[in-house]
Amino acid sequence: MSWEAVARKDFQDAVRSRWLWVLSALSILVFAGAAVGRLYVGGGNQQEAAALLRGFLFYLKQGTAIVIPLTALVVTYAAITRERESGTIKLLLSLPHSRDDVVLGKFLGRSAVVTLPVLIGFVVALLALLPAASGLDIFVYVQFALLTALLGVVFVGIGVGVSAAANTNQQALVGAGGLFAIFWFLWNFFVTGVNRAATDLFGLSTPDQFRLRLALKILNPIQAYKTLVDSLFMSDLEARIRMFSMLFGMIPNQQAAQALGPELSPAFGDAVVLAAMLLWLALPLAVGIVWFREAEL
Amino acid sequence: MAAIELDGVTKRFGDVTAVEELDLTVPEGEVFGFLGPNGAGKSTTINVLLDFVRPTAGRVEVLGMDPQRESVAVRKRTGVLPEGFSTYDRLTGREHVEFAIESKGADADPDAVLERVGLAGDGDRKAGGYSKGMAQRLALGMALVGDPDLLILDEPSSGLDPAGAKEMRDIVREEAERGATVFFSSHVLGQVEAVCDSVGILRDGKLVARDSIEGLREAVGTGATLEITAEGVTDDDLGAVRALDGVDAASTDGATVTVQCDSEAKTAVIGALEDAGVAVEDFSTRESSLEDLFLAYTEGEAPSDAATDAAGEEVDA
Repeated sequence: MSWEAVARKDFQDAVRSRWLWVLSALSILVFAGAAVGRLYVGGGNQQEAAALLRGFLFYLKQGTAIVIPLTALVVTYAAITRERESGTIKLLLSLPHSRDDVVLGKFLGRSAVVTLPVLIGFVVALLALLPAASGLDIFVYVQFALLTALLGVVFVGIGVGVSAAANTNQQALVGAGGLFAIFWFLWNFFVTGVNRAATDLFGLSTPDQFRLRLALKILNPIQAYKTLVDSLFMSDLEARIRMFSMLFGMIPNQQAAQALGPELSPAFGDAVVLAAMLLWLALPLAVGIVWFREAEL
Repeated sequence: MAAIELDGVTKRFGDVTAVEELDLTVPEGEVFGFLGPNGAGKSTTINVLLDFVRPTAGRVEVLGMDPQRESVAVRKRTGVLPEGFSTYDRLTGREHVEFAIESKGADADPDAVLERVGLAGDGDRKAGGYSKGMAQRLALGMALVGDPDLLILDEPSSGLDPAGAKEMRDIVREEAERGATVFFSSHVLGQVEAVCDSVGILRDGKLVARDSIEGLREAVGTGATLEITAEGVTDDDLGAVRALDGVDAASTDGATVTVQCDSEAKTAVIGALEDAGVAVEDFSTRESSLEDLFLAYTEGEAPSDAATDAAGEEVDA
């Protein structure tokens, strides 16, 4: 298959950049930290050590939620525009690859570049963890690793999609940076704004307001990732309620608990949140593919 | 069947017309030289064939297929040395060739390919360290992978020294003997003359001549280059000269007038200039070379309609 050849070449090329090695070292350092904490700080006490690990992962996600999307975008925003600016795209498209295959191949190659360091970091951490770990810890740990890798892949899709749709590196940089700012800084303003407008227009009840706000929050891939990680440690309902809390979950929101409980609607279950993340994987990539078909090189 | 067929192809970028109403047919098995000065629209035409850009108007067929709808199928059977490309700096020469082999689903030995284009021994070096000429050789090697039915080479000799340019011509000949159609562009006649069956000359996006090399030689053989010294000649003064029978092209730099014409037309040319109010100080004639004809087509002002018509007749003949 044509996209396989593109993906392999792209990975071969990217693997020789210093980026991959810096990222690997960084992620081993960070993720193995959890394991080291588990082994040495936790001491012999099983209960205390397990709590420590969970606590560590719990706060680690604040870091991964910003670092993983950021690195994924940095690694991908120029994936196609740089080839267009340097002229390597002419060499690539002189060979029998369709433009769709170029975008898909880039997505796969860069996905490997971003997820590999994350997974290597987790495997190293897991090896350190194994001797003292309980089955549950390892299961939670593996799920956390996979969710984090998925977050990386989602942002690789966003970055490659932006790069395919853009005409220049600069456009791609603005696009990727803009999306990151929207997801990280502006999304809650958007949620509040839409909620206020909808409440004014339709006179929504308080529970309906919370449902609307929750639906909009879930549509943010970073918030979706965080609440899915929370779900590893608590019920779906508690994890969703936490999305309304302040200061990294230290100040819970009682109103949200009342509005969304006592039984969480299946519309806000983990499966739906996961689907929202996958939507962000598919949508930008699809837009990028369609735009790139029309591009003049 | 024609390997390449362009029918009324126009390509505009904003309000700049790069190629205008281009009709061009290259039969299968022919070695075709696509000539013209830089900026004439040669690369734009090639980019249309490869679906890098889409024509504003007109119909294009490559190997009997629509390059836009059947782009991959066209490129499966076409080897391309593109213009303005660059290599993947971090990949070695051999990895480039291996990628081409894998992409085309071909069965070739990367080292044999590298050797053929004169890169034996450089395969393990990263392409980022290659000179312009070496990168050019590498891209040619990638183009040759899979014995394509059509080779499209955009300015293949650029960056090559004379020896390299000769190797390039040898490879073009070998490929033609194998039965491939070769379409290559150049702004230098000398590189085309030795290997081409026929040429087309593009200027300001229009095809101003389309002929076999023999046909061109014949046209030149009976022709002469007339150099007339005359102060303050403007291009407007040349209208009458171009309208004369037997005149192919006329140009001026203000101090001299250069006219490509049949030997018998000389007197008429001088007469026409004097009638236009030009004071002819001196003139000389020499037998035209192919280079003169090429320069007449590509330099100075646009050639006369007569020249275009003559070229058109050659195509029909």
